[in-house]
Amino acid sequence: MLKNYQAGTFFDEMVDQLGNPKPHYESFYQLIRQISNDELREKHETAQLSFLRQGITFTVYNDAGGTERTMPFDFVPIIITNEQWMKIERGMQQRMEALNLFLDDIYHEQEIVKDGIIPEDLITDNPNYYKKQVSGLEIPLKNHIFLAGIDLIRDENGEYRVLEDNLRNPSGMSYVFQNRYVMRQVYPELFFQHSIRTLEHQFKDLHGALISHAPTNRTGQPCAVLLTPGMYNSAYYDHVFLAQQMGIELVEGRDLVVKDDIVYMKTIRGLKQVDIIYRRIDDDFLDPEAFRPDSALGVSGLLRAYRKGNVAILNGIGNGVADDKAMYAYVPDMIRYYLNEEPIIKNVETYFLRDPEQLDYVLDHLEELVIKNVGASGGYDMLIGPHSTEEERSVFRRKIIETPSQYIAQPTIKLSRAPAYQKGEFYPCHVDLRVFVMNGTESHVLPGGLSRVALKKGSLVVNSSQGGGGKDTWVLAEGGMNHA
Amino acid sequence: MLSRVADSLYWMSRNIERSENNARILSTQLIHMLESSDQRVMDRDWEEILEICASKEEYYERYARLNRDTVIQYITLSPANPNSLQNSIVYARENAKATRDHIPDGLWQLINRFYLDKNAQQDQPMTPQATQNHLKDIIQMSMTCQGIIESTMTRGTPYTFIKIGKWIERAEKTARILNVICEKTLKEKNSTDTENYYHWLTALQIVNAYDSYIKEHPPTMNPKDVLTFLIENQNFPRSIRYCVDHILNAIHNLESGKISHYSEDLFKLLAGMQEEISRTDIMNMSTEELMAFLDTFQEYCHRISRTFSETYYLVEPVHASH
Repeated sequence: MLKNYQAGTFFDEMVDQLGNPKPHYESFYQLIRQISNDELREKHETAQLSFLRQGITFTVYNDAGGTERTMPFDFVPIIITNEQWMKIERGMQQRMEALNLFLDDIYHEQEIVKDGIIPEDLITDNPNYYKKQVSGLEIPLKNHIFLAGIDLIRDENGEYRVLEDNLRNPSGMSYVFQNRYVMRQVYPELFFQHSIRTLEHQFKDLHGALISHAPTNRTGQPCAVLLTPGMYNSAYYDHVFLAQQMGIELVEGRDLVVKDDIVYMKTIRGLKQVDIIYRRIDDDFLDPEAFRPDSALGVSGLLRAYRKGNVAILNGIGNGVADDKAMYAYVPDMIRYYLNEEPIIKNVETYFLRDPEQLDYVLDHLEELVIKNVGASGGYDMLIGPHSTEEERSVFRRKIIETPSQYIAQPTIKLSRAPAYQKGEFYPCHVDLRVFVMNGTESHVLPGGLSRVALKKGSLVVNSSQGGGGKDTWVLAEGGMNHA
Repeated sequence: MLSRVADSLYWMSRNIERSENNARILSTQLIHMLESSDQRVMDRDWEEILEICASKEEYYERYARLNRDTVIQYITLSPANPNSLQNSIVYARENAKATRDHIPDGLWQLINRFYLDKNAQQDQPMTPQATQNHLKDIIQMSMTCQGIIESTMTRGTPYTFIKIGKWIERAEKTARILNVICEKTLKEKNSTDTENYYHWLTALQIVNAYDSYIKEHPPTMNPKDVLTFLIENQNFPRSIRYCVDHILNAIHNLESGKISHYSEDLFKLLAGMQEEISRTDIMNMSTEELMAFLDTFQEYCHRISRTFSETYYLVEPVHASH
């Protein structure tokens, strides 16, 4: 069935320009040829149902209320060679280190601004810069980024590039594990002849990284919790899964209370002190006293406890200043400035519309470029030039002229593609990869990550809220394949 | 354990138990009613079902008449009835979802799958056969849940809250059923032996006690024997006595045998109820006295439920119906 599958003019993960499998996909290619079409259909059904029954769903809200949906799963994995992976791993650790130094600098002396590397207004005008709330604080391990999700793409030459940094509440880690779980349950035969880096020990590292943030004034076993907005949040499954796997309590804002600047959770035996909060609530909603007063999700007084050093909050408050789409363009400079190194994994070229020269160029070339709102995520408020209509372009032209600093532009990259099996056939779909990095006293990169795929034919948007799906990601162990 | 989690486990368990009990009551009554043709008797039976499984008053606020399909719809699927089977399942699922990290994965998957499968079937016409199958499925689901809980859960705090929820729900339901049946026999003082037999047989069947009862008593359906069995029997797992004993025992273990300041009221209440049961001489009570006794009893159950929630700081029950 893969006979007619063609790479086209794109970089394809599995096949070369002639349609032949690449060496690291050779075994897999041979294995799927042995499965009949009926069997593939049946397995496909089983896999989708498995997600639904396990309740691995996210909630999509519309006028009629919320509906629970599963993220469609595609069984063709993204296979990454050990050599490629080593480079990604080093690149991610380098990026984390620079971004963390940047965050610490920004909330202290701002040397990078004084040295003229980053324009000051890019920081002061950023809505996620919380100077009043958190500047000058000494936080545990000086670490602002406990868990990050870095989105990578591959260009037409197959080179990995960073598309986006998620340093606040990156979701999707549970899918990495569930994709692997379902894959092993439903497609066991496809694992034959492959030697893959396992995901089994990752929670030890994640838990270790979490616990290493315990406030120094606390002795004994620290009490860590995961703070969720609750079961109606679209990433609730992610929260349940992480809390469960790390063996920590999953709490909601209403389960916590702050007394004399100490955070407690309400248990059946009364109050119990909490030392570390891995929160999955946005900064804005954390504490109605310090941020949005209308927040019903947060805990009053949390920031006071944090400022006193009585509780660790992860990821750090105010990380949004480092991961928006405008600051993104400066990350290579941060790496050079703080580490005196060249970026191992490059960015996608980015135009700044605050610069009049670049603005003119972009307005003249809208139909070739991708325009993104620096504050938006999830594929919203975005123009994909080559796929846009004249009308859409004129809407964006107006928006850009009105607030140029709100937008950036990037060349349309020919995102790499991989085969996806949907509705009984294989066809090429664009993919990206979210890599998860856990930081504590040590830094670990989860082997593989979440491969997201734009399942709508021809679509470039991989976000699950807009019809994207997921794939298992295999990092081949050293030595590559076992031809057993 | 978080109070919110304890609360959710407790209500998950109560709602599973409630759905099973209500399904069995409706299923049993539908079969009984096949043999009756007298409209007055049928109306009385419908009202009885409503009183045990929901609220007669709330039903009449919405509907003027007792109509077979309307009552069945009200008990099974109606979103307007807070105790409808569908609502119990939705609440059980929501509470299970909120405590997924504390319950066996198999339990969550069973409830979730049941909910999804039932949702997919909702458009099917409710023929008598389909209704009976639906009710059987619910009973099976509850039984399977209990099997998973018993065979996989560590005997710790979450387990205890689940069990206490079940026992409180059961005790309350048994008291309510007996109340309704007593009231009926009181209203129909001149009824024949056959009619009386029928009433008490129904009571046993809807509590799922018939098979156990018949092993210890002749099938004469002496009302006092039936009442003694359903109230005082220490070994039958749905009798009030059994439930109260087990709640007391569970709380005793939860508190490691100590009665603290905060748990004092709860212990007192449970011990008081236990004493009341052993002191009462059902055999020598008039029906009126029995009714009064059962009323006290239902009140006791509500107070236990309330005090239990207060003792462990359980949040205001969102889905409570009593």
